Amino acid sequence: MPASFSTSDLRRIGEAVWEIAPSGAMRVPARVFADDELIAAIAGDASLEQLKNVATLPGVVAPVLAMPDVHQGYGFPVGGVAATELPDGVVSPGGVGYDINCGVRLLALPLTEEDLGPRREALVHEISRAVPAGAGKESRLYVSGIDLDHVLRDGSAAIASGNDVAHTESHGCLPGADPAAVSSRAKERGRGQIGTLGSGNHFVELQCVDRVHDATAAETFGIAPGQVTVLIHSGSRGLGHQVCTDYVREMGAAMARYRIALPDRQLACAPASSPEGQAYLAAMAAAANFAWANRQGIADAVRSAIGRTLGQAVAAGTVQVYDVAHNVAKVEEYGGREVLVHRKGATRAFPPGSAEIPERYLGVGQPVFIPGSMGTASYVLAGEPGSMTESFGTTCHGAGRLLSRTAARKRIGGSELRRELEARGIVVRCPSPKGLAEEAPFAYKDVERVVEVVERAGLARRVARLVPLGVVKG
Amino acid sequence: MTIEWESHPGEEQLHVVATTPEQVVAEVIAALTTLVARDPGGEPAERTISVTAEDRAGLLVELLGELIYLAETEGFVGDTATVDLAERRLDAVLGGRLTTIDPLVKAATYHGLSFEQRGGAWHARIVLDV
Repeated sequence: MPASFSTSDLRRIGEAVWEIAPSGAMRVPARVFADDELIAAIAGDASLEQLKNVATLPGVVAPVLAMPDVHQGYGFPVGGVAATELPDGVVSPGGVGYDINCGVRLLALPLTEEDLGPRREALVHEISRAVPAGAGKESRLYVSGIDLDHVLRDGSAAIASGNDVAHTESHGCLPGADPAAVSSRAKERGRGQIGTLGSGNHFVELQCVDRVHDATAAETFGIAPGQVTVLIHSGSRGLGHQVCTDYVREMGAAMARYRIALPDRQLACAPASSPEGQAYLAAMAAAANFAWANRQGIADAVRSAIGRTLGQAVAAGTVQVYDVAHNVAKVEEYGGREVLVHRKGATRAFPPGSAEIPERYLGVGQPVFIPGSMGTASYVLAGEPGSMTESFGTTCHGAGRLLSRTAARKRIGGSELRRELEARGIVVRCPSPKGLAEEAPFAYKDVERVVEVVERAGLARRVARLVPLGVVKG
Repeated sequence: MTIEWESHPGEEQLHVVATTPEQVVAEVIAALTTLVARDPGGEPAERTISVTAEDRAGLLVELLGELIYLAETEGFVGDTATVDLAERRLDAVLGGRLTTIDPLVKAATYHGLSFEQRGGAWHARIVLDV
């Protein structure tokens, strides 16, 4: 039976933390990071029923978590975090999602908004021409005949080196990736898609730094007031979607063998140590590596567009700040226990001094990027020590959807939204008016409130605020 | 016969009601086409799909998985369907076209999945990850 939820189940245990005590089949409590306004929005959809279902997973470690941007998903809520104890706690492909290693990459250009001036529109247009949505086999890397298995094994390093790889979570490559664990169908879906954006909420956004909250961290990350940046949001495209499809089916069929019964078929899982669990983790790592290569391909295309529009010196001076995943499962250690942290719409946020972050950032913490919603701000955060004690090293991943796509379309048409954004100086390139309307800013929660909550909860702190100059959508 | 896109904050939730289960399947195919076809035209084409699953609802997930794969790899979308449906097997001959697609739909999910007869009609509900 799926869990039910009532607001009376929620007990406030901190300034920005709420708890749901275990009941029914829940093995551990559930915690939600939110203020009064966000908790009311969160309680208004099925996120917390879904979080309670996640708390029934075998081997789950207390507590399961919802970030302030959480919203109803399918199986796991989007913005959910669950750690399972290794070796025999479960891995659930639905806890990672179909878009394995969907994530965000930030590039910093060596010029300011003022320097860019009237070339803004030309740059956005050129980026839209350089980065295909991926409806067909449009990838420049496909045409060049790149070895897909090399990408699946080595991730970013298959097509890049130097700073871009060093400034990527896990150096753009999860260990244990096995191309043989990825089906031929998944490979066929992904083969032409390296360097493609996808559709839905994926985008490339041209921005500028409008406010700096932490000058030391901003300087360390290489960003300054007025500076132009590019934020890339995409994932593992059809390859990752097919890997999840394949393993949800396989684990659904295997659960009876492991005597696992769950309230939602989409939570299908198997012990991480089982043959099914090991195969999924090898395929997931391969798909995560594909996603990092995909964002690398997009970043390379953006640099090419910058070179054509602003000159090769600007392209050569465009530096990758960092790249973070927000749909992935990773082996990490907390409180002396080795756990598998499922982050579904949630971002790793390691604090200063953590071994896994680039040497340059050791003193300030891992960069985290929180996209807003086209017309609103995005944030650069840095991981804080509280993440290690309160949230399995995790923070939020975005503003979080508030309205359905249908409701967004009913409130505004794509052409009207384009006019509104352009009236505010935001250049828009999107082939689908319907798709544009579905991503209208009012369809999302207030990103300012979301980042304030994670800061108050001690999970991450604000470093800089970025505002949009132009957006390219698939 | 009705097709409704129900409110879901992040994904697309489809609810189809029809008088026969075969009609439900045909409407699900047509509904996916409305989501992914960017162009009303295209070169006419035909495809045959055969899927198996543990139950009737699972057949919908498998069918949509095939359709998403065909859309993404070939640009094929189905407009009409001749459906042969059993409890654990579905065969369909699709009339459709090769066209420009929007790579919007990632997968069909099992969350809240149903395909059942109620009150003299057949109902199917499925959440698509977009």
